[in-house]
Amino acid sequence: MFSYIVRRCLFGLVTVFGVSIIVFLVMRILPGDPLVAVFGPDGFAKLSQAERDSLMAQLGLADPLIVQYMNWMKDIASGSFGKSFFRSENVADMILRRGPLTAQIGIGAVILSWIIGIPVAIISALRPNSIGDTVARFISIFFLAIPGFWLGMLVVLGLLFGFGYRAPLSSVSFFEDPWANMQIVIGPAVVLGLGQAAYIARMARSSLLEVIREDYVRTARAKGLNGRLVISLHALPNALLPVVTLSGILLGFVLAGSIPVERAFGTPGLGFAMAIAVSERDIFVMQNLVFLYACVFVVLNILVDVIIAWLDPRIRYQ
Amino acid sequence: MSATTAPAIKAPPSWPARATRVVLNFSRRSPMSAFWGVIAILILLMAIFAPLIAPVDPLRSNFRFMQKPPSETFWFGTDQIGRDVLSRVIYGSSASLTVAVSAVVLGTTLGCLWGLACGFFGGRFDIISQRIIEFMQSFPDLILAMAIAMALGAGMGTVIVAIAITRVPFGGRIIRSVVLSLKEMQYVEAARGLGASNKRLMLRHILPQCIAPYLILATTHLGVAIIIEAALGFLGVGVPPPTPTWGNMLADSLNAGLVPPWWLVLFPGAAITITVLAFNLLGDGIRDALDPRLRGAV
Repeated sequence: MFSYIVRRCLFGLVTVFGVSIIVFLVMRILPGDPLVAVFGPDGFAKLSQAERDSLMAQLGLADPLIVQYMNWMKDIASGSFGKSFFRSENVADMILRRGPLTAQIGIGAVILSWIIGIPVAIISALRPNSIGDTVARFISIFFLAIPGFWLGMLVVLGLLFGFGYRAPLSSVSFFEDPWANMQIVIGPAVVLGLGQAAYIARMARSSLLEVIREDYVRTARAKGLNGRLVISLHALPNALLPVVTLSGILLGFVLAGSIPVERAFGTPGLGFAMAIAVSERDIFVMQNLVFLYACVFVVLNILVDVIIAWLDPRIRYQ
Repeated sequence: MSATTAPAIKAPPSWPARATRVVLNFSRRSPMSAFWGVIAILILLMAIFAPLIAPVDPLRSNFRFMQKPPSETFWFGTDQIGRDVLSRVIYGSSASLTVAVSAVVLGTTLGCLWGLACGFFGGRFDIISQRIIEFMQSFPDLILAMAIAMALGAGMGTVIVAIAITRVPFGGRIIRSVVLSLKEMQYVEAARGLGASNKRLMLRHILPQCIAPYLILATTHLGVAIIIEAALGFLGVGVPPPTPTWGNMLADSLNAGLVPPWWLVLFPGAAITITVLAFNLLGDGIRDALDPRLRGAV
């Protein structure tokens, strides 16, 4: 098990390195001057050549690419992650201040997706093609098609018109004021969680249907165990393995999905910061945040692999 | 004797007849997919013939009717500078679908060709390619698309490229595995034994087998592409205004004051949902009809 974890982490390091190169290339080499990205085509046209050169030098963009890349890595290693182009705050402070909210949203969404998705899947799988199953499947297909940020906007509007209520817009830590903090987090978490629940329900249904046909489930039934016990103790634990894998991937997608969703709710989390950075074309913040999100995604994948290997010894010994 | 063999050498049905039979079989087997397929086709027609269907010019502002709720003249209401929301939703389908369809076709085609080369040649090229694909899949789709769209600058072409790049790894992975299993097939071995060149093997013997997975990939990814396009538009890095897209209409509604009017939010979002629903269900149906083994893989 230990050697498996070490091997997986080493692979992860290689991936993180590759990811950092891709982020760097996307931000620097793609056609289009970084100054165009920052100032927009009109603003760029107004700058004189001398101004362009001095700005490039000031931002460290005039150095050779290798040097720029090394400088960026140095910034990351020193823990400051570089500065925002438009604000004086450095990116590390921003991540520390806004990150926890987004993390709460992500974890909340995944927990919610299990709470909703698994029972729906059990009901569906126990009576496949019944009315309940058909309805559950249609609802999950429907939720797969709804863009989360639109659902978020509808929820905000509905609360405003129905109850004249709006979630607080300034960031509050869970430890200072849990109630205010929950009001901020719950909206995006529910919206994202519903979308993920649809994936979970679909995956859990098909994997349960497969497991229920296995010999050991028939054996358990044949020795007279009651149906509920067979499902909850014999079938479910095995059926949930692919669901765990899926959840890891989904948590990554929740983090991405929370960018427009936080924008829709006006949640002061990291996703909203990213939405601002992208609309301001702040390439320095973007570079670091994209890298951060990708790293989190890689780490989540490693975690899921390790959990699966721990749950299912067959994988470990391959 | 000729009388008995006459029915056997009957001319094969012409292709419209065959196509009709395929469609009829498809709709009998999965009526749900067929129904949503019809809706998908209607939406495509709406996108193509937007200028004929839209009641007024989507860009013309009418300052006498600013931010009016839905009424008999303006079925979907008007936005903050008096543009007709119905016309904008109809024109939006055109921009959104152009981006989604071109991105999926471009991305899936590139991915499939890459996967074909990986599976066929193997070796070091394959190992390096697999690593690169793994790196690309370490980004959630939306984040990669956002970063590329931002770096390339605004424009419809850049949005297409940004979304297309996020679709490449899927084609690469799946076609590679299809090709790897095809390569071991006896008919390919036989062709190789007869002295067929690599090019001939790839184009005449392996490529045709990749058409079904290609079609499945392309249709199942359309829905995702539409959602990414809308999210990019919503975040301000999609197709730039004034061209209406469903995403940038939703973004505009947020600028319409503290409380966005409900009709500016409801209609573009409903259009996205119905379109994605239609393409997803059509894609599922096509996948089940062409190759049910790929259920869950694509």
